[in-house]
Amino acid sequence: MKIYTGTGDRGKTSLFSGQRVSKANARIEAYGDMDELNSIIGALSANLGPPHSDPVEELQQIQTDLFAIGALLATTPDSPAMDTIAGIGDEHIEFLEKSIDRMEQALPELKGFILPGGDPTAAWAHVARTVCRRTERRIVRFLDASFKMQAPDSYQRSLIYINRLSDYLFVAARYCNHLFDTPEKLWQK
Amino acid sequence: METKAQNYASELKERRWLSNKSFEITLTKPKDFRYIPGQWIRLIHHTVERDYSLVSTPTDPKLALCIRNIEDGILSPGLSNAPVGSCFNFNGPHGYFTFRPSTRPAVFAATGTGLAPFVSMARSGVTGFILLHGVRSAKDLYYTSVIKSAAKQYVPCLSGTDSLSGEYFRGRVTDYLRKNLAPGLYDFYLCGRREMIRDVTFLVDEKFPGSLIFTETFY
Repeated sequence: MKIYTGTGDRGKTSLFSGQRVSKANARIEAYGDMDELNSIIGALSANLGPPHSDPVEELQQIQTDLFAIGALLATTPDSPAMDTIAGIGDEHIEFLEKSIDRMEQALPELKGFILPGGDPTAAWAHVARTVCRRTERRIVRFLDASFKMQAPDSYQRSLIYINRLSDYLFVAARYCNHLFDTPEKLWQK
Repeated sequence: METKAQNYASELKERRWLSNKSFEITLTKPKDFRYIPGQWIRLIHHTVERDYSLVSTPTDPKLALCIRNIEDGILSPGLSNAPVGSCFNFNGPHGYFTFRPSTRPAVFAATGTGLAPFVSMARSGVTGFILLHGVRSAKDLYYTSVIKSAAKQYVPCLSGTDSLSGEYFRGRVTDYLRKNLAPGLYDFYLCGRREMIRDVTFLVDEKFPGSLIFTETFY
């Protein structure tokens, strides 16, 4: 597969559904942030070595799901290309929720605001969480501008997934500190 | 239809030369292998891998690939003289360069063996398209009868210096589109050299805005 074609050299790019759009288009901003989020989750995953590499497989599943959402965002809903995209189902959202519940069982009760940081893996998870929230805002902005209140279900489910993923990453940050015996620092007024 | 890539084993059944540089090979088709016209496979021989679009149709009993013999290539010289019965592994099907019917006219543009996915589409019943095939010389044209029987318009674009009869266009695919395609909305399918894909894409941005573009870069 060739990496470069030069077709984006003049500020436009092609959607998976064939349209040529500006690289400043709200849709491109949304899946660009998705790409950034996916890369940061990769950095988090790369820092999780033995004996604490258990979450890596889970993170790779999340990266796969983010690719699916990225493909969805790169496709207009009326396109026949939509038939080739798996998208996000309820099972993907349940997967995140079950993971959150499982990690929380191992964690002490939350007693205040936590300063983002601690172990480097926890710090990466917090960076991922904030980029996840920005991605969510971008998707909402794109959906509001494009569909008003009637965004297709596939987009709505992706939005739920991203909202849940932010929660997952917050708990994952705490879980990383737990795994590496790093105390959490609470915000002191 | 969704197709999932898997590993398969196959055997070379036949080879026929299409021009002095390009040939078609026929391989046995594994029983459970399914694909959509326009998709490609990754052919594996020992440690070498190369990607080739299928020119056969999903209902054909065998698989066929169109291959350009590159003198210093890592797989094509071997494929050009491998004996019938040679075994190959492949992985596939891959790719999303498939025909998507619409109300807009379809314009297929290929350079060299980039014609392959369009041959598979034409053999599978896609008709009414405009097809431009960019090659150096008329000797490099192949699958002409398949294309002519399915296309609304077939335009071989020759970039070399051959003396030409009226059925050919002298110049590149991009030159033809710039000079001869009426303004309007189209679905462009581009396959082949990256320079062609880039130049046609820029031309579409400039002259046919609002059209759709689907691409497969070969080389």
